[in-house]
Amino acid sequence: MSVAQLIKSFTLWEFLKAHRLTLKYFFKPKATINYPYEKNPISPRFRGEHALRRYPNGEERCIACKLCEAVCPALAITIEAEPRDDGSRRTTRYDLDMTKCIYCGFCQEACPVDAIVEGPNLEYSTETREELLYDKAKLLANGDKWERAIAANLEADAPYR
Amino acid sequence: MVSVDAQTETEMPTVTVDGTEIEVPDGATVLQACELAGKEIPRFCYHERLSIAGNCRMCLVEVKPGPPKPQASCALPATHGQEIRTDSEMVKKAREGVMEFLLINHPLDCPICDQGGECDLQDQSVAYGRGGSRYHENKRAVTEKYMGPLIKTIMTRCIHCTRCVRFSEEVAGVDEIGALYRGEDMQITTYLEHATKHELSANVIDLCPVGALTSRPYAYEARPWELKKTLGIDVSDAMGSNIRIDVRGREVLRVLPRNNDDVNEEWLSDKARWQVDGLTRRRLDRVWIRRDGKLQPAAWDQAFGMIASAAKGGSVAAMAGDLLDCETMFAARRLVNAAGSQLLESRQTGMSYPAGNLAAVNFNSTFAGIETADAVLIVGSHVRWEAPLLNVRLRKAAKRGAKIFIVGPHWEPTYRAEFLGEDASVLHDLPDHVAAAMQGAARPAIIVGAGGLVAGAHGPALALAHAWNVVRDADGVRWNGFNVLHMAAARMGALMLGFARPRGLAELVQAAPAVLLSLGADEMDYAPFAGSLKVYIGHHGDKGATAADIILPASAYTEKAGTYVSTEGRVQFADKAAFAPGDAREDWTILRALADALGVSIGFDSFDQLRTAMVAEVPALGAEGLIDFGPLPAAESAERAGGPIAYPVKDFYLTNPIARASATMQRCSAELLHGEELAEAAE
Amino acid sequence: MIPVFEGWGMSYEAAWTVSTIAGILLIALPLMLAVAMVIYVDRKIWAAMALRRGPNVVGPFGLLQSFADGLKVFLQETIVPSAANKGLFLIAPIITFTVALAAWAVVPFNSGAVLADINVGLLYILAVSSLGVYGVVMSGWASNSKYPFFSAMRAAAQMISYEVSIGFILICVVLWAGSFNMNEIVLAQRGHGLGIVNGFVFNLLLFPMWVMFLISSLAETARAPFDLTEAESELVAGYQTEYSSMSFALFWLGEYANVLLMCTLNAVLFFGGWLPPLEIGFLYWIPGFVWLLLKIAFFFFVFSWIKATVPRFRYDQLMRLGWKVFLPLSLAFVVLVSGWLMFTRYGA
Repeated sequence: MSVAQLIKSFTLWEFLKAHRLTLKYFFKPKATINYPYEKNPISPRFRGEHALRRYPNGEERCIACKLCEAVCPALAITIEAEPRDDGSRRTTRYDLDMTKCIYCGFCQEACPVDAIVEGPNLEYSTETREELLYDKAKLLANGDKWERAIAANLEADAPYR
Repeated sequence: MVSVDAQTETEMPTVTVDGTEIEVPDGATVLQACELAGKEIPRFCYHERLSIAGNCRMCLVEVKPGPPKPQASCALPATHGQEIRTDSEMVKKAREGVMEFLLINHPLDCPICDQGGECDLQDQSVAYGRGGSRYHENKRAVTEKYMGPLIKTIMTRCIHCTRCVRFSEEVAGVDEIGALYRGEDMQITTYLEHATKHELSANVIDLCPVGALTSRPYAYEARPWELKKTLGIDVSDAMGSNIRIDVRGREVLRVLPRNNDDVNEEWLSDKARWQVDGLTRRRLDRVWIRRDGKLQPAAWDQAFGMIASAAKGGSVAAMAGDLLDCETMFAARRLVNAAGSQLLESRQTGMSYPAGNLAAVNFNSTFAGIETADAVLIVGSHVRWEAPLLNVRLRKAAKRGAKIFIVGPHWEPTYRAEFLGEDASVLHDLPDHVAAAMQGAARPAIIVGAGGLVAGAHGPALALAHAWNVVRDADGVRWNGFNVLHMAAARMGALMLGFARPRGLAELVQAAPAVLLSLGADEMDYAPFAGSLKVYIGHHGDKGATAADIILPASAYTEKAGTYVSTEGRVQFADKAAFAPGDAREDWTILRALADALGVSIGFDSFDQLRTAMVAEVPALGAEGLIDFGPLPAAESAERAGGPIAYPVKDFYLTNPIARASATMQRCSAELLHGEELAEAAE
Repeated sequence: MIPVFEGWGMSYEAAWTVSTIAGILLIALPLMLAVAMVIYVDRKIWAAMALRRGPNVVGPFGLLQSFADGLKVFLQETIVPSAANKGLFLIAPIITFTVALAAWAVVPFNSGAVLADINVGLLYILAVSSLGVYGVVMSGWASNSKYPFFSAMRAAAQMISYEVSIGFILICVVLWAGSFNMNEIVLAQRGHGLGIVNGFVFNLLLFPMWVMFLISSLAETARAPFDLTEAESELVAGYQTEYSSMSFALFWLGEYANVLLMCTLNAVLFFGGWLPPLEIGFLYWIPGFVWLLLKIAFFFFVFSWIKATVPRFRYDQLMRLGWKVFLPLSLAFVVLVSGWLMFTRYGA
């Protein structure tokens, strides 16, 4: 150990340097935002809470093709279907287990009619686990609630698809 | 498949497929030659069991010598020295072109199409098609057709392969489906848009390479990748058809035929296919005990206690139902024997034909063999309803020139047949030309159906069999032309396991047992057993459950593994596809628990032990395949047949408790069999 | 305070009792409040140095965060593991907490403002802070769980190691001050540096002592970088692993009370306690306890600063530092200081 090193070691030189650095950072502007009151911008491709969309005339888009169910790597989607009274193919059950979902977005990629989408909403924490087991009504309600944002996002992203 | 007779085999032509030289059977097509060489040839209209149409053009290959253009391999015979290429640029381009043309008018609605995932067009367009379409005009649309309660049509998807037309014409033998107009305007439809009424009509669903004909009861239910596939044996008739049971969760969603050239080829009757939706309705899923004349829910222990105390006071008898597996019957036999009784019976309608020699009650010609018969005498059997797939075989025989005579009331055969009279006594006084035809035939066959058995025709038929010498050497192959056609899937197994008293049901009535174990017996008359404790061990709330004092819920055929013996003496094993609902248990476990309640030992604790014990007692049940029952017994010449023959099947779609519970079968029955009556009643 | 109560007509004994209780409350209640705020401040400083914001939702600037946490913890269920030694398990956090409070009895907040102005104040502090390890060891043992047990073993070894050198450091201070009484130690620092700066730290011989004391006090309170007793990457949460609810909260309160105590000791022993930093008359207009509080606040900032800066030591490094560096150094300085004092003060 050289003398210089010895002096450095006994004067805690490296420690002091480190403390100078942290003190500098102490006064720097913060990198984080004041989250619940400020929010980061979100990409149109952001994959948040799921929603089932409708056509402008109110008809639900989902045609129970089950491609999302098949592609889902987490097996979070359960669909049951039967002919509706007018003979069209519709789901009688569209369950999405948000606790299983890994937000990969394959479902919206697989969907031939843009029915299931992952919307921009990321604030949907619940008090109980059961509330995260979404059913068709909840997903359709999400779709109605977020339709404008979802449609805008889809349009913004469309040129790149 | 090309049948090659052993005698006429000449030298086999040699062709070259993609540079590999192979020998092909004489008469093979280029397509078959390619298959033999291991090359996959895409096709839509070609089907092994149907005639060659050559109208889809998907199977184009390059053949030399020949015109310098791609040729349809399915319709081109393979000849010596041909050079076939399936991998050339020309073939690739040809396939892409055909595919593009096919997709011009085919809607791209795969997401809402039930065929999606198991669609030939989908698969082959991925494998052989171009990436996209260059077609920008409007697509063709076709008006919807109605094809009955089983077949759902979306005719816009039709690619005009005509498989359905050829099936109904050639295999089913009814000209129900045909094509109207020409070219692009061609439309497949049923005659006058009536529902298809044939009992094999749903097979066109499997044949249809696209989603034009799909299954109506299964519409939008599931995708093929969601289904758990289990290999099973059908019990709707005694053919032992090989089926694949598709299950999602606990529910059987559909049944498809499996390929077995010896049994059902690749067809399946509509009942076998669609009775399964009765498996979720009218099910017995808990124990019931009759108190004060009313069935009330109870616990297993109570039921077992009641049976045990009743069994102390007398004998125990067992009646086997029509849908049972051999294991259940064997367990019941062990139980009844352990309780000190021999009262076992399976012929619910009271038939008492001798069952000592099983060769006399077996379908000895086998289903595949009956195709080669050249004279057939059917005694008291509505073959089309009792065994639709056997009817297909008889049609094949008739198409080859077999003469077919039927004793019994008139029904509509799908081939040329002569009805000899409704009374069974005609057997003793056959017209000369019939006797001459039978005697002159190389492979004569007699088929005795249930109606014949009831009318006492079994003995006389046996006598005729001996008189015509139906057991013989035909072209070096052993030929046994004496056949009994049963209707119950369990019958042959039951007879092998001794579920037959010499005097039949009457013997059980006379014995007046203290306990009558009814193993899913739903066709019998329970009135004579008023003094017995009637225990119904079964799965549907049908006739047996209505009459029972105690109901123990058991499993249906899809819910247990089992051994089945078909009417041709073929042992087949089925796997368990789903779980029984509620408290219902597999039948043998109920009988095992009942043995404990009765304080007797039946010698097995697991299904494997049960099977081992059964095979030890009846070795023939141990191996899959045909059983050799030995030579025919001598006929009792004193027996006389007499009286009008009545067919036991009154309604093809409602012959067993599962089918009776099935909404689809009820709809079929109402619409297809009684539709005209209903229409008249409505007017 | 005793004369005040006597003036209200109480007997001396009654006045003593009442004034003692009043003194305890006067120290303990603000201390609890301070601990709550200090936890908040700790988090805020740490966050700021990591360019984060820290708690900012509960109350203005997140000021009430600690109270929210306290309320949450208070409402939680106390879980006692089934295999735990129940009595010890519940007593352990109480011991930690009580001992952390007890040490404050001898801290002088101002001239004469001390609850127990005893002669051996410093020894008392040494004794009481040594007791603190019992709470940790007991909790580790009583949890009947391996991580708390490891943690307890570490805590015992760590505290013993550093108390040795702390003892020697304090002897130097005592030698210089000539008293164990805390108040007198403070007063001894008056004008220590060139007659104008208050504090032993401005003594060339005692400055290294202060550095060692600061580092040792980090180790003594198991603060980063010496927080090996609760090294979450190895021991889950150390001896607190099995604790929940209020028993967990008591540990935390005790821990931060200890941290504050160590900050106070730094201020009292080396930075002139309640004396103003400079020996200038008008600075005495500001009350002594304000100066002390300012000094404590500064040291707490230093503690947090270190926590945000230095990564955790390995256990063998910790032991090496304690036994192979601090012990010989502090021992040497005891000799040096006593020799110097002999030479300068009494030798002549």
